[in-house]
Amino acid sequence: MVDFRISDEQKFIIDNVRRLIREEIRPLEEDLDPDAFSLPPSEKDRLVSMVKEMGLYQMDVPTEYGGAGIDLVTRTLVAEELSQHRAGLYAPAYGVFGHGPPGQLYNATEEQKEKYLWPVIRGEKSAFFGLSEPSGGSDPARAIKTRGIKDGDDWVINGGKLWNSGADTADFGIVYVRTDPSKGRDGISAFLVDTDTPGFRVERLVQVLRAHYTTELSFTDMRIPSQNLLGEEGKGFALANDYLSMQRIPYSATGLGVAILAHEMAMDWAKQRETFGQPLANRQAIQWMLVDNEIDIRTGRWACLQAADLAQRGEPFRFESSMAKLVATEGAGRVVDRSMQIFGGLGMSKDLPLERWYRELRIRRIGEGPSEVQRIVMARDLLNIRSGS
Amino acid sequence: MGVFEIADSEQKTIYIGKASGKSPFGLRGELFLCFGEKTDFDGKNWIHPKMGQPLPIIQKHAAYFRYEVNHMYYSRWIEILTRFNEDHGRLPTGNLEDPEVIPELGRYHWKTKESGTEN
Repeated sequence: MVDFRISDEQKFIIDNVRRLIREEIRPLEEDLDPDAFSLPPSEKDRLVSMVKEMGLYQMDVPTEYGGAGIDLVTRTLVAEELSQHRAGLYAPAYGVFGHGPPGQLYNATEEQKEKYLWPVIRGEKSAFFGLSEPSGGSDPARAIKTRGIKDGDDWVINGGKLWNSGADTADFGIVYVRTDPSKGRDGISAFLVDTDTPGFRVERLVQVLRAHYTTELSFTDMRIPSQNLLGEEGKGFALANDYLSMQRIPYSATGLGVAILAHEMAMDWAKQRETFGQPLANRQAIQWMLVDNEIDIRTGRWACLQAADLAQRGEPFRFESSMAKLVATEGAGRVVDRSMQIFGGLGMSKDLPLERWYRELRIRRIGEGPSEVQRIVMARDLLNIRSGS
Repeated sequence: MGVFEIADSEQKTIYIGKASGKSPFGLRGELFLCFGEKTDFDGKNWIHPKMGQPLPIIQKHAAYFRYEVNHMYYSRWIEILTRFNEDHGRLPTGNLEDPEVIPELGRYHWKTKESGTEN
């Protein structure tokens, strides 16, 4: 039997998050630039304290690491709520619920955890993720050209990375490097790289369609000690793959949050805006758009929750994770597009957040794996084709 | 929408600003604010009720400007601030006095040709 009801505990968490977004975050955005992605420090500190009192700080960090330890299904439900404000898609709640560490760090050695994991959990350090390169990002097993050569107790790394959001402000990153060119995906290793390492350079800030830039990095004779190898040598790709599949689920749900808010705004507007003597809501053309919005949202939600449920139970979830990403991001894009159409000229203006979500959701169809790559992943599962064939 | 720099009579940058989605009259309006008392636009009153007041340092020292039309004005503004901060080890004087919150700035690992100069 399938139970679609949420538990009392889930409801409690969702209600608290919803209240904070609606009563604290949205009013603050009235005074911020329409493209802003951070809060004034005093406001952020105040809200972080409030979240800590609620017991929801670092909510997806396991309890043994001091977090709230909520499960993936609840985290997915919460992700829908966290993004329901102007900056919510890429800066959910402006980070006041804490930035959890990259999942790979839970596989780190005790020494590595001390230096990297715990400071991230305490909010003292931040990390970036270095996988994609100018040679490609969707097929990292082949695209990674950054080369690591063992030299005594160190690895000497040369190459570069692209699309590393936050690398210019991060303290360290998880960088994927080809350590054995003869072994394909089994020749890729992950390293913990401090951003003050000699040879590490932020070459440029790359301007994109959304309000926050990303970065291009270069590594020149960057010497990394062997103790900074994360996981086993040659197992970096598996480490990245597991992390990306899991991460994809709440990531997809944040897109749905934005779609839900756009849809609510469009429904309110359709009821109050009159044309030719009648509210828009009475027009069949508008009714169908609103119904299509609802269908896209519900379809995306169930796809995300099913993927989260499978992952949480330890069952295979790669197909469902890719499907959730594809259905939720593409559906959310359509919802925002229709909502803008319903608003007319106002929907295009920076007075409303719709135009920002429209730009940002366009990126979502590419970030964390383009829709086409999600289809490739699903086709491999359907047809039982081995990855890399 | 876009970004602009204001310099004093010695062509030293004193402010890096942006014309945002909330700026009445866009870049022109923002620049007018900086030079409003010195420039006469056909004697018309261009001050919109939503326009703010220029910072005293700008009002007093603004002599030159340069601008760039850019729809991604916010991230470009941060990029230019980052570059200035990297070159000079501080923000422009006007930005230090500006109540507008500047997000955490990152760093490049190279210097521009202006590095170490006071331009």
